[in-house]
Amino acid sequence: MTECFAEILWARVDGPAKKWLERVWPGAGGRDAAPSSVQFRAAFAGCARRLRDLPLQAGDVRMLSDAGVIVGADWQLDNVARTALLLRALSLLPGEEQAAFVRQVYLRGDFREQAAVLQSLSFLPRPEQFLELAIDACRTNVLDVFEAIACENAYPAAMFPEAAFNPMVLKAIFLAVLVGRITDLGNRATPELKRMVVAFASERRAAGRAVPDDVDLIVNLDAA
Amino acid sequence: MKMFDHHIHMTSRTTDDYQAMADAGIVAIIEPAFWVGQPRTHVGAFEDYFLSLVGWERFRSKQFGIHHFCTIGLNPKEANNPDVADGVMELLPIYLEKESCVGVGEIGFDDQTAVETKHFEAQMQLAIDYELPVLIHTPHRDKKAGTERTIDLVKASGIDPGRVLIDHNNEETLAATLDSGCWAGHSIYPNTKMDEGRMATLVQQYGTERITINSAADWGVSDPLKVPKTVAAMREAGIAESDIETVVWHNPIAFFGQSGRLDLGADGGRPRVDQSELWEGNSVLRGQEAVVEPAE
Repeated sequence: MTECFAEILWARVDGPAKKWLERVWPGAGGRDAAPSSVQFRAAFAGCARRLRDLPLQAGDVRMLSDAGVIVGADWQLDNVARTALLLRALSLLPGEEQAAFVRQVYLRGDFREQAAVLQSLSFLPRPEQFLELAIDACRTNVLDVFEAIACENAYPAAMFPEAAFNPMVLKAIFLAVLVGRITDLGNRATPELKRMVVAFASERRAAGRAVPDDVDLIVNLDAA
Repeated sequence: MKMFDHHIHMTSRTTDDYQAMADAGIVAIIEPAFWVGQPRTHVGAFEDYFLSLVGWERFRSKQFGIHHFCTIGLNPKEANNPDVADGVMELLPIYLEKESCVGVGEIGFDDQTAVETKHFEAQMQLAIDYELPVLIHTPHRDKKAGTERTIDLVKASGIDPGRVLIDHNNEETLAATLDSGCWAGHSIYPNTKMDEGRMATLVQQYGTERITINSAADWGVSDPLKVPKTVAAMREAGIAESDIETVVWHNPIAFFGQSGRLDLGADGGRPRVDQSELWEGNSVLRGQEAVVEPAE
């Protein structure tokens, strides 16, 4: 299923964008050598300007959804390209170097690049190797980056231990991010999460502040 | 009046400054990569600095309704430091790719050494390769000779001088800069470089074509409101509103718009976008559909 990212990418690029992609595609030149970090990060950075405005087609969005992208319609070609580039680069790297490689791409990316890394995690080989990175990403102060991991992303519900998942939900409430956007939240609505949310609501009331509606939504969830 | 401060080091400024700038009418800024007051000891420090220019600082600025862009380069002062210079040059291709990078800069001469020349020339070539305009710093010491050397180096590089802005001009350098075909920036400073009244006189004398102003505010004694203060001085001197607007808004857009990346069309508390406007026959667009919002 993960081949669909590269498939869509190559079908949509044309002209100068295609020439650029052929030049920066990891392992280009037939040597199948893993890219250097600098080469890869320059390619990863260039995706937004060079590819974002090329439109996806309805069939592409269906392919993304079939591959497990939660809201395929939210993705643009630069997101697709960045996932495809990561998949390609990791296929050329030994397993033990992959987590560190992705971590550097994340740490040294701008916000849109960081978001693209986080949205890609579920599709990369052995996604559990990126757990530490994903949990750390929840500590960001930048809303777009937080939403990229917390919302419309299957990774947290599938991979996070409760000690990481629950704080992410609380942070979403703090930031007024609708918890309905957290994928598979229902499966993770444990008594401990409900207790934390109720305690938060009580603190808010004591301070004379409004309690977000999302508190009730979580309290009323039936854990699977 | 909408204003664009195309040279300001916001990393060194406070949120009070951002608020005061927004209140005074500044809606867009460019933060050139420069040195940070004390020499950096390893390349990683540059990388984190570049990252903050395309990341955190941009986010901070947006919180106050100000569009933030940057230019990326190895500054002339630290070009002299062999511990970092080559490593920083290797990083540049990554950061010149970033969406909010609208130029190469600030580069140029500080002490006018051989190694400064080498990195200056290499970065002019990067500007040509990445099709980016260039922001050039001119030295504080031996300024006139340094500006002339700068112009010679620009000519030898083969770049279109219309894609080069030579900054920190004064009464002694402006004529030569304009004659070269380059754009001429002026940094309005509390004590040095150029002040508001002298700037108004220069505009009366030379007109507005290819002339820009900025605050170059940083971690030293400097003033992030020098652009609006100079607007007031130009008004007081009787300069027409349309000419003032040319200097503080249309000119920086026409120059840095040549990057094709100067996207002023984001949301909230910003000017009406009309990309169909031309300035000196130049559009900020490079092949995209013009965004024209209805007038209020």
